[in-house]
Amino acid sequence: MGPFVITEIISENTNFLLAFVIGIGFGFVLESSGFSSSRKLAGMFYGYDTTVLKVFFTAAITAMLGLLFFSLFGWIDLSLIYINPTFLWSTIIGGVIMGAGFIIGGFCPGTAFCALSIGKIDALAFVGGLFIGIFAFTEGYPLIEELYKAEYLGIPTINESLGLSRGVFALILIVVAVAMFWIGEWAEKKFPREEY
Amino acid sequence: MNKLKARVILSMIIVPLGLIIAAIPENKTKQYKLDSQQMLNEMVEGNQFIVPDEVAHMLVQKDPSLQLIDVRSADEFDKFHLPGAINIPLNSILAEEWEDYVNQDVKMNVFYSNGVTKGNEAWMLTRKLGYENNYVLQGGLNYWAETIMNPEAPKNTVADDELAKYNFRMAAGNALGGGKLQASNTSTNTKKKKPIIKKRPKKKRAAGGC
Repeated sequence: MGPFVITEIISENTNFLLAFVIGIGFGFVLESSGFSSSRKLAGMFYGYDTTVLKVFFTAAITAMLGLLFFSLFGWIDLSLIYINPTFLWSTIIGGVIMGAGFIIGGFCPGTAFCALSIGKIDALAFVGGLFIGIFAFTEGYPLIEELYKAEYLGIPTINESLGLSRGVFALILIVVAVAMFWIGEWAEKKFPREEY
Repeated sequence: MNKLKARVILSMIIVPLGLIIAAIPENKTKQYKLDSQQMLNEMVEGNQFIVPDEVAHMLVQKDPSLQLIDVRSADEFDKFHLPGAINIPLNSILAEEWEDYVNQDVKMNVFYSNGVTKGNEAWMLTRKLGYENNYVLQGGLNYWAETIMNPEAPKNTVADDELAKYNFRMAAGNALGGGKLQASNTSTNTKKKKPIIKKRPKKKRAAGGC
C-alpha cells in the first residue's frame, strides 16, 4: 500500500494538494494551541509553560505508533519512508543555531508564520530574519559546503545503533514521553508566572 | 485538574499501545509488490523487452546508464559475455548482495541469457517485488548473434531504412567484436571491478520541522 506517492497510488500533484490541506490543518492547530505567542514558546525554556514539549512529544508518539501499527497491518512499507540523512557537523551546528534562534526570537519557523498570519509585528521581524538567513546561507554556500557535508553518517537510526527492535525503542520513547509530561507539569507548578 | 486528566488518559492509551508494539515482531515483508493481475498486464504489454539494436547503440555510444546483467551461470559468463556486463546467475538474483544492483533507479538494467527465458524470469522476479528500471534483451544472446554479430544482408529490393539498419548492425557488430561470438578479448573484462552503484536514495520528501 503506502507510501501512496512512491507506489504511484496518488500522483505527485495530488500529494501537493494533500500537503496543502494538511499544512492548513497544522497551522490551525498551532494557532489554536497558542503557539503564535512567543511567550508561550519561550516558557518551555524557563519552565513556566511546557505546552511545546507536550504537544510535540504527543505528535511524535502518535505518528510513531501510527507508522508502526500501519506497518504491522501491512498498510505501509517502512523501508520506503524517507529518512533525513545525517551529516554530523551540520546537525550539531544547525541545532545550536536553531535553538539559539528559538530562545532569542521566541519562535520556530512554522510558528513564526502562524503568528505573522494573525498580525504579530515580532513575527514579521522574525520572518524577515529568516529570509536574511536563507539568503546568507545560499549565497555563502560555496564557503561552507565542505563543513555542510562533513561527517556523513548515512541514515542511522537510534534503535539500530542500540541493537533494539523498533517496537522496543518505541516503548522506551513512550515511557520517556510520559515521564516528560509529568516533569513538565511539575515544572509548571515549580516556576509559575502570573501572566504571559 | 482538567490538564492532569488529559495527561493520565493519554498515558493510559499510549503505554499499552507501546507494550503491544514492543511485544510483536516487526513486519519485515515488503508490502509494495505487484499482484498477479498487474504482472499479467505488464507481461502482455511486453514493454520490458529491449531490441538488440538499441542495446548495441547504447554500447557503441558508451552510454553510462546502461547496465547489462548476464543471468547465465558463471562458466557461461566467463566464456562469453557482452562488453561491460556483470554476472548475476539467475539463482542468486534475489541474494542480498545484488539487491543494490537490481533495485535502483539510476541505471537501466538489461537482463540477458542465451535465449529469452532466463532473462525474462529475472525480470519477472524483480518486477514482482516492485523494482523498476529492469529490462530484458529481446531474443537473448542468440538473437544478438544473429542480428548484431552476423547480420544477414537484406535483399536489394528492401526499403532504405532496412539497409540503414543493416549498415548500423554491421558497424556495431564490428565495433563490439563482431563476426565471432567466442571473442577472446573478453577475458580481461571478467576481472574488472564491479561498478559501484550507490544504494538507491530514498525519494526525497520535504523535510519536516515545526
